[in-house]
Amino acid sequence: MIFLKIFLIIVLTIAFILFSFSSKMKIFQKLTVIAGYMTLFLFIMFPDYSDKIAHFFGIGYGKDLIIYILVALTGLMNIVLYVGVNKNHAAITKIIRDSTKKNAKKCR
Amino acid sequence: MKKNRYEVAIVIPLYNEEKIVKDVLTELREKYPEYRIIVVDDCSSDNSYKEACLEGIYLLKHMVNLGQGATLQTGIEYARELGCKYAVTFDSDGQHNPDDIESFIKVLKEGEADIVLGSRFLGSTENMPTSKRYLLKASRFFTWITTGIWLTDSHNGFRAINIEKFPNFEITQNRMAHASEIIGIIKNLNMRYKEIPCHIRYTDYSLNKGQSMWNSINIVLDFFVGNLIK
Repeated sequence: MIFLKIFLIIVLTIAFILFSFSSKMKIFQKLTVIAGYMTLFLFIMFPDYSDKIAHFFGIGYGKDLIIYILVALTGLMNIVLYVGVNKNHAAITKIIRDSTKKNAKKCR
Repeated sequence: MKKNRYEVAIVIPLYNEEKIVKDVLTELREKYPEYRIIVVDDCSSDNSYKEACLEGIYLLKHMVNLGQGATLQTGIEYARELGCKYAVTFDSDGQHNPDDIESFIKVLKEGEADIVLGSRFLGSTENMPTSKRYLLKASRFFTWITTGIWLTDSHNGFRAINIEKFPNFEITQNRMAHASEIIGIIKNLNMRYKEIPCHIRYTDYSLNKGQSMWNSINIVLDFFVGNLIK
């Protein structure tokens, strides 16, 4: 069990370090990532606490709480990605449109 | 003051219509030599671009396919750059009747409205499939619920717009949801609108080329998500 915990902590820490250094984040986003890291760290090290927190929210088990949080986060990430893609799309549209107008021709 | 001879632009989005676009443009050019005809090719994969290059036509081409909404916006912006006061949006698949353009422009010139919307349900249609008729009628409720504007035909591509009076008239929905977006723009900009009859010809060619009925689900999704992220 302890080896599994160590393995999960290492994976989590590597993911956290890679994520922190590879993306430009605002202070709020940094705090959210740190909070997420700390929560997962505690859940791995002290699984009983996750049950207590789950009970506080009226959920039976800690693992159920984690699944619910992950589902919610996945949905949120989808929306954030969709908005980002649409912003890029709008920028691409503007570039193409400007170029199209510049290259307009009157047929003879 | 000198009157702008070319105060009307006919904006035509074009996508893979090599078989028919030449006939459509020839007819328009003969009937309306005093109007500027702007064709925007949305990166057709066939010979549409070459076929559309008739004398006097302003021809533009997107380097990638963006969708009909984006194509119309490009045409409208170019019409503004040419100094046109009114823009008529007209399909390139031969469904619209060029004779109707005159009545559209008349309404704008007489100041009765800022935007004129063609209605196939006030006018007439040839060979319209029953399923399409019901879907279009259902879309009127969707438009009414989302914009509060009741129209007899909310998804007709035949329109005339006073683009000079409304420089901020801008279509942001790149694909087919632009038709619903335009009704929203009418409401947001407090544009005076008028529906007038128009004649739509459904031919085997246009019905085969037309969009699938299932695409209406994508249109609704695009519309809602587009509004959410604005």
